[in-house]
Amino acid sequence: MPLPSFAASDDERVIAGVCAGIAQALAVDVTLVRLVFTLLALAGGAGIVLYFALWVYGSKGKVWLTALLVLFAGSLLLHAVGLSDRSVLGIALVAGGLAFAWRRGGSFRPDAPLSYGGLIVAGAGAVLLLETGGADTTVLAPGAIAGALLLIAGPWLWRLALERDAERAARIRSDERSEVAARVHDSVLQTLALIQRHAQEPRRVASLARRQERELRGWLYGDRPLGDQSSLVAALSAVAADVEELHGVRVELASAGDTTAEEPLVLAAREAMTNAAKFAGVDEIDVYVDVEDDVVSVFVRDRGRGFDRASVPEDRRGIVESIEGRLARAGGSALISAAAGGGTEVELRLPRVAS
Amino acid sequence: MKRRVVLVDDHELFLAGVRGELADAVDVVGEAGSVAQAVPLIKELDPEVVLLDVHLQDGNGAAVINAVAPERPGVRFLALSVSDAAEDVIAVIRAGARGYVTKTISAQDLAAAVERVASGDAVFSPRLAGFVLDAFRAGERVGGDAELDELTPREREVLQLIARGYMYKEIAGRLHLSVKTVESHVSNVLRKLQLSSRHELTRWATDHRLV
Repeated sequence: MPLPSFAASDDERVIAGVCAGIAQALAVDVTLVRLVFTLLALAGGAGIVLYFALWVYGSKGKVWLTALLVLFAGSLLLHAVGLSDRSVLGIALVAGGLAFAWRRGGSFRPDAPLSYGGLIVAGAGAVLLLETGGADTTVLAPGAIAGALLLIAGPWLWRLALERDAERAARIRSDERSEVAARVHDSVLQTLALIQRHAQEPRRVASLARRQERELRGWLYGDRPLGDQSSLVAALSAVAADVEELHGVRVELASAGDTTAEEPLVLAAREAMTNAAKFAGVDEIDVYVDVEDDVVSVFVRDRGRGFDRASVPEDRRGIVESIEGRLARAGGSALISAAAGGGTEVELRLPRVAS
Repeated sequence: MKRRVVLVDDHELFLAGVRGELADAVDVVGEAGSVAQAVPLIKELDPEVVLLDVHLQDGNGAAVINAVAPERPGVRFLALSVSDAAEDVIAVIRAGARGYVTKTISAQDLAAAVERVASGDAVFSPRLAGFVLDAFRAGERVGGDAELDELTPREREVLQLIARGYMYKEIAGRLHLSVKTVESHVSNVLRKLQLSSRHELTRWATDHRLV
């Protein structure tokens, strides 16, 4: 049982800095500690002895001298509240004996070694207490014994609680560890294997690496998992990863805010990304999701060869059906324009349903 | 005259890669792998630009900036990370970094970003622009000091275009502004982000981590 660390404070000392030291160790206000000591000092001088005891502990580190002094302080206190000499001696013996047993045994657990000497002293004290038939002790003695027991068992109960917490924390850690192992196996190791098999195809390797990076990052930094339909950004990340993998381009996704994933918007954005990847002849596409109070916009832009609507054959339904029609049916709009600086920008807008 | 650059990153492989890629464009005068190494090294070398990883093993990029900036106000920081966490990015920008780029950036773009930061401008990647817009929007809903806590419509427009993947020159053309004006809008946004004492910006970032 490690003793709590405690050191008298030099910074805020009035006498020897014991009160300030306690206040620091317990993180309470120093005035409160001083008040308690003052009250105790009025109880037959117990506070003064206790102060001295703690100073001995803090500066000299003499545990046994401290224990004796604390016992002495306790006796003074009990005396002050009106117990007879015999009961005070009894309680002191019980407390001293149990403290000894506790120090020696190291634990109150059933399987821990016990100090019989300590128990005998404590027993003698108890006998002394019970034999004392004075009028003032019949009421007070059982309470005093209970108090003393509580004082002594307190640290042990406290330690039990701490140990339980530690066990729980260890169990959680081990659960987390196996989850990480499973996750790494399912994703990272599989991807590494794929990369080895496709080492001759740089584009494929790059897209595998990017997809893995996106997924791992999403997991590590608390984003929602890919494919989670409750988040537009997550849904578009998944779409972007697919497009990257299928067409060997890079999709840079930026976002301001997030909202629920509306299917028409996600599918139209996917079509726009796919078009850019297939026809623009570039290796990077920028996608930006902007969630405002009343409208969600998705911008898909490339710096490619540009796009002439008139040259697209009538039977190609991609733009008319998959992008414009889809959004119009959902109450939104799509705008396809030549972007400043070359290339094409598709702007998809969908009013937000008041939730 | 090449810019004098210090690299701070705890990934050996990444350091080597960046060093090789930037060798022609800048003069890499020093490298560090931790906060403890970086702080004295930067103070000693007094470089023009520090490329700073957002996450280091013994702390984060913001810790490096906080330790160095008071003594070496001339050193400019450009944050570099694979991290998507908005909280970390906003924290390092608020500590004083002049910009943020992701590690997937091409060597050419990185060299251009270093040059931009060295000459006193801010570097907003699309992703950073998105984070910043969102952070200010969250702040505006609560209301507050209009000068520092809100973006002007023009600043918002510029940030939106950056987020959409436009370059400063293209934004200037589209909004009929000079490139200098676009740059000053971006610098203003950066200043607001760093000076605003609003807890909303911080709280927004924390919320994001928890979502």
